Amino acid sequence: MASLPGYNVLREQDRSHMLEKIGVDSIDQLIDFIPANLRLQQPLDLPVAMSEWQLKSHLTELASQNESADSHVCFLGGGVYDHHIPAVVDTIASRGEFLTAYTPYQPEISQGLLRVLSDFQLVVGRLFDVPVVNCSVYDGATALAESAWMAISASGENRLIVSDTIWPEHLEVLHLYMANRDVEIEMISHDESAGTCDLASLESALQQPAAAVIAQSPNCFGILEDVKTLVQKAHQKDCLAVIGCYPTSLGIIEAPGTHGADIVYAEGQSLGLPLAAGGPYMGMIGTREALIDFLPGRLVGETKDIKGEPALALIKQEREQHVRRHKATSHICSNQALMALRTLVYLSLMGESGLRRVATLSAQKAHYLCAELEKVAGISKSYQGAFFNEFCIDVPVNASKLIEKLRQQGFHAGIECSSHDNSQDRLLIAVTETKSLDTLNHFIQVFTQSLKKLS
Amino acid sequence: MNPGTTLKAARRVSVFDLSQPGLGGSGITDPDFDGEHIPDELSEFATRKNTGLPELSEVDVVRHFTRLSQDTFGVDLGPYPLGSCTMKYNPKRNDAMADLPGFARVHPAQPKDSMPGLWTLFHNLQEHLAEITGMDAFTLQPAAGAHGELTGLLTIRRHFESKKQNRSVILIPDSAHGTNPASAAMSGYICKIIPTTKEGTLDVEAMRSMLDGDVAALMMTNPSTLGLFDPNIEEIAKTLHDNGSLLYYDGANLNALMGLVRPGDMGFDVIHINTHKTLSTPHGGGGPGAGPCGVKAFLEPYLPIPVVTRNDHGEIEAQFDRPLSIGRVKSYFGHVSILIKAYCYILSNGAEGLRMVSENAVLNANYMQSSLSDLLPPVFQQRCMHECLLSGGDLDVDPFDFVKRLIDFGVHPPTLVGAGCVHFSDEYDAAMLIEPTETESLAVLDDMIAQFRKVAREVAVARYMIETAPHTTDVAKIITDEPAFLSMLEADKPCDSKSS
Repeated sequence: MASLPGYNVLREQDRSHMLEKIGVDSIDQLIDFIPANLRLQQPLDLPVAMSEWQLKSHLTELASQNESADSHVCFLGGGVYDHHIPAVVDTIASRGEFLTAYTPYQPEISQGLLRVLSDFQLVVGRLFDVPVVNCSVYDGATALAESAWMAISASGENRLIVSDTIWPEHLEVLHLYMANRDVEIEMISHDESAGTCDLASLESALQQPAAAVIAQSPNCFGILEDVKTLVQKAHQKDCLAVIGCYPTSLGIIEAPGTHGADIVYAEGQSLGLPLAAGGPYMGMIGTREALIDFLPGRLVGETKDIKGEPALALIKQEREQHVRRHKATSHICSNQALMALRTLVYLSLMGESGLRRVATLSAQKAHYLCAELEKVAGISKSYQGAFFNEFCIDVPVNASKLIEKLRQQGFHAGIECSSHDNSQDRLLIAVTETKSLDTLNHFIQVFTQSLKKLS
Repeated sequence: MNPGTTLKAARRVSVFDLSQPGLGGSGITDPDFDGEHIPDELSEFATRKNTGLPELSEVDVVRHFTRLSQDTFGVDLGPYPLGSCTMKYNPKRNDAMADLPGFARVHPAQPKDSMPGLWTLFHNLQEHLAEITGMDAFTLQPAAGAHGELTGLLTIRRHFESKKQNRSVILIPDSAHGTNPASAAMSGYICKIIPTTKEGTLDVEAMRSMLDGDVAALMMTNPSTLGLFDPNIEEIAKTLHDNGSLLYYDGANLNALMGLVRPGDMGFDVIHINTHKTLSTPHGGGGPGAGPCGVKAFLEPYLPIPVVTRNDHGEIEAQFDRPLSIGRVKSYFGHVSILIKAYCYILSNGAEGLRMVSENAVLNANYMQSSLSDLLPPVFQQRCMHECLLSGGDLDVDPFDFVKRLIDFGVHPPTLVGAGCVHFSDEYDAAMLIEPTETESLAVLDDMIAQFRKVAREVAVARYMIETAPHTTDVAKIITDEPAFLSMLEADKPCDSKSS
């Protein structure tokens, strides 16, 4: 007997029985309400169905063509980092119950998932030091855009003051999300020496009313912004302060919420999510209690069952698209629940002390690498501001040639910064806890040799 | 709290309840760096005393989350006929392929020529999606269905801008998913709602009366959220196109159509696909999914960057310099690991397999409808597509209570008004939308039907069992419009944590 194509589970005798029950002779008759001229007359032009071993062979071949953080030592960052992911994260996230559930519309059979999402909200709330966190949005870029819209909706103002040291890709998404919504975006420049938001530029922008000041720390040069001052200046002019952050850094860096930020957003990739060539990742948004009605996405809260026992459920759904349609806070229907699960498991494993050590090790190694590279003739740090685990250096040769040279020797050395501010000779280098001293020293050696060869 | 709690207790405790300071972060050490001393330059910023994160041992984490998984219902545990959500079986081999290090360990900022295998996969997938849907070009960028809608609508907007036409209205049927009007509003459009006829199809005359030079597009799903194929689709498409307007296809219900009929052939200009529905990528508890967006050739220049395509030398590459593009809808290249799973699904099925997917999805839904018609008469007296809308109006019990009782017999409740991601107008308020999907066998369908009947028999003899269901779950019935609070507001202030 030939096997059924794909994952179909109806045998021919089953289909006959069912057609009879329905009262038709054939599948064609079953769907005879579809105009005949629209019916496909020939099979789809697709490759012949593959067995599992053929599929594995094909995908393995495609995967083998890609360089990766396994084939090359990864010093790439730009908002996405090669932090270690404990095996436990993968084990839990592959549980079929979590993997194949949907949004917990039926809370009675979803208490496990609801507990995960609720704890995710709580744990991220502590990390950001804010009281309210949603169940996540698509990624850091869309989290920025949604946060900006929150500020506009909450304030009634349609002008945003935005730092130009936010990740360029995030800014592109922000501009697109705001493009057709009658929003004015004023960009503020950065201090070329420190590599941080230019406060004079900010103060000038604050002369006109605005919904929010939006900045990111560490910023797109890896430099930490003076978040406290940015928040204060925004608040002095009755603007909301929206701050983007790098969650891992919060193991040691003061949280944006502690500085009084009204909305805190982040790309959550660094908390247990694979690099995965760009996704799926997870956007995180936290805020103050007063802004809760403007939050996009799912929220989980505590309620009671009919016996009066505590239980968890989706709450405040009146904000959302399936209830409020075109007046919803956002169109988002899904959240990145599986990514939120990974993050919660990751943060539960790390804990207070583990996250602190991950952050400290990353910073120590980055600062070691930066200091050693600065000793090499012709290399200098691009900015004087303090950095966490990612820094820019100026090199005396063509940056893309240098990157290529190092790539040939097994390193993804950094991101060329030309897209940031048109510097041709600038590299953005990120270091995580996973890079050993030997690896760093080897990198410094190869880096130095490559510079010489290119000079 | 003793971490060795019973299964029942798992859902009742948070990770904070399980915290034992000193147990966290085991093995985060390095022989050459102490992991304690803050670099001097950073000390001004690294002033955080504590985060208040809980501290658990690895075994406690594994047990706690394994137990929570056991208190979560997924497709892997049983039938999940949640209408409009297409909760079909998700093949495990697809997950394994997406986890290959040559995909999972790729950093998206790597040199563009360092991931040729990925570009080939993207290009193949785009071509397969175009073939399945009858479109000309695809972007794989959008993160989800709603995000695909936003992408498609912005593409439409850019099209009219380039033609110097100012069209500000999107038409949407009253049965549309809530994401349609919400995405239209985010794209700067005004929504106008088209009523549904009593036969369950789009009211073409009403649509005609709403058409003018202001209408940019009509968003539609076919089959609709009522489970019906709209036979007037060609007339609808022609009428719109004659008006200079475009037709947008919400791919939420594409599972009914593969290999049978294609949206592109029906006259749709733009489409998004929910990979987590039709192409069987796992729903993940609410995401991540993916929402590839396809267009006819005249809209291709407007697709978001980057676009993966063949260059003049025949090589596949990601192009970023696209002057007419709407811009960037998300960072990097979309939900890559999800897209890999969708690609694997298409390859495992082939043309014959995908056609049988849709045939069987339609067959299963009609079998459910026929088998239950005496108990739950179809709202529309006709055959359905991949899901059936049945009336619970004759049940003599609240359908909300009725479906909760199904939980006790291992069946996930179908979609009701206000539950799930669809919207019904008031006249269907006792209806349930049942989508069995093609991966339930006849034996499972018969079992599900038997459970529906068992509950129906209870109405007369043990009504209270229905009204207080479910009974097999640790938690009792939850009325979700009861007052609820966000538990985090009640939690300790983060920096007052005891577990520092």
